[in-house]
Amino acid sequence: MAARLAEEWFAICGGCEVTILDIGEPLLDVLKQVEIVHMPVIMDHKLFGQTGENAEMEIPAADVGLISGGIRNEEHKKLALEMRKKCKILISLGSCACFGGIPALANQFSTQELVDKVYRDSKSTEKDGLPHEQIPELTDRVYAVHEVVPVDAYLPGCPTTPDMVANALLSILEGKPLPALSSKSVCDECPTKREKKAVGTLKRRLEAPDFKPGAPLTEMRCLMEQGYLCLGPATRGGCGGHDGVPRCIRAYMPCEGCFGPLSEKANPMVDMMGALSSIGLDPKQIPDRAATFNRFAGAGRLRPAPRR
Amino acid sequence: MGISPVQSVSAVAEAPPAETFQPLIIALCCNWCSYAGADLAGVSRIQYPPSIRMVRVMCSGMVHPNLVIEALTKGADGVLMCGCHPGDCHYQEGNLKAEKRAEAIRLMLSDFGLEEERFRLEWVSAAEGPRFAQVVRDFTEQVQKLGPSPYRTQ
Repeated sequence: MAARLAEEWFAICGGCEVTILDIGEPLLDVLKQVEIVHMPVIMDHKLFGQTGENAEMEIPAADVGLISGGIRNEEHKKLALEMRKKCKILISLGSCACFGGIPALANQFSTQELVDKVYRDSKSTEKDGLPHEQIPELTDRVYAVHEVVPVDAYLPGCPTTPDMVANALLSILEGKPLPALSSKSVCDECPTKREKKAVGTLKRRLEAPDFKPGAPLTEMRCLMEQGYLCLGPATRGGCGGHDGVPRCIRAYMPCEGCFGPLSEKANPMVDMMGALSSIGLDPKQIPDRAATFNRFAGAGRLRPAPRR
Repeated sequence: MGISPVQSVSAVAEAPPAETFQPLIIALCCNWCSYAGADLAGVSRIQYPPSIRMVRVMCSGMVHPNLVIEALTKGADGVLMCGCHPGDCHYQEGNLKAEKRAEAIRLMLSDFGLEEERFRLEWVSAAEGPRFAQVVRDFTEQVQKLGPSPYRTQ
C-alpha cells in the first residue's frame, strides 16, 4: 500500500519543493510508493473543500507530512496545527521551517514597524494601501514550525539537499528510523588548510579567494583566514552528503550558514564574533552582525533591538 | 585583639548603608599572572570588596566571548577579565588574542541591551597584588553605579 504524503508551504520561496523534484532518479522509486494527498504547489486540493463548502480548513489524513516555510500569519498557524493532527510523521523541510530562514530576518523589527515600512512610510507606497480584507493577520514574529507544533524530523538547508529528502522519505517507506542530523560543524568537515591566523583583513565576497582551480581543496587556505566571512564555525555540517565536503566550500565559496546553528541553544552571533576575533580579524568591520550571523536562524534568535 | 575606638568609629562611618547594591562580578584570571596577583593581594591582606567570584583559567586567551556573554546574560552584574601584561604571556600571545576578543565582546554587549562598562579587561602581573585590589575596587564601584544587571532575576 502506498504511503500517503501531505505537503504544505508557508512563508517560503518554493525552493525546497524544487529540491524534491531535484532528487532525480531515486524520485521514481519514491513516487511509486507514495500517494500525494495534499500539496498546494502541484495539485488542486482546496482547503475548504473543492467548492468551498466547508467552514474549517481541512487536510486529508496522511502518513508523512512535510512543512516548508516558517509561520508568519494566523493561517499558517492553523494549517500547522491541522497538519500535526492529520500526519503521523511531521517533517520540517528546509531552513525556513527549521529556524525561520530568510523571512525571519524580519524579526529584528516589530510587526507594526514592518507594516508601517511596507504600507505607509515607503516613498513609493500609496498611503492608504493597507490591506484589510480576506487577509490573515500577521503573527507577532516569524516562528519556526517546531515553535508552534512538535516536529519529528528536521531537514535543514537553503534549499535542503535532494539526498537528505530522498533519504528521509526512503527510510520512512522502509520503516527505518529517520536519519539524524550531523553533530559536527561545517569547519569539522571542511578540508581546507587552517593555520589559526588570518592573512590580511576582511574582504568582500566579490573579491575572488586565492585557490588553484582543479587542485584539491586541501591545498586551499581556509576561506575565513583569507578574510572571507564564512559561517562554518557556527553552522551544522552535513550539507555535503556522502561526499562529506561542505557544498559551498566545494564551489570555493564561504559557508552561508544555511544548515543553522549547532544546537538549539547556540547563539551564532557570539560564536562567530569569537571566531573572527580569535584569528585576528576586526569584528568592528561587520556592518550588521546580528542579521549576518543569524541569516537563517532568526526565529527565536533575532528580536527588535532593546531600547535603553 | 581589640580594635581601638578611633578605628571602630571610622569603620562604622565607612560601612556602606544596608541597602547599597552589592554587585556580583565574575573575574576570569589567568593562572600565571593575575591569579597569582590576586593571591598576593590575599596574602598581603589588602582589602577589596567581596563582589568578585574568581574563575582561574590557564590563559586569558582561552576565554571565548560566549563565556563572558553567558555570564552576563545569566545574571552576573559584571565580568572582569585579567591577564598578563602584553609581552609577558606565558603562552607568548594569549593575552593579545584576549584583547582582540574583548573588542568583539564590547561590541556585542549593546546587542544584548547591556552597558559596555559591565565588562573590563585588565592586565595584572603576579607582583601586582595592590593593583589587583585597586582594579576590583574601581570596577565594583563602576558596576555599582550602573545598578543591577537587567538579566538579574533576584
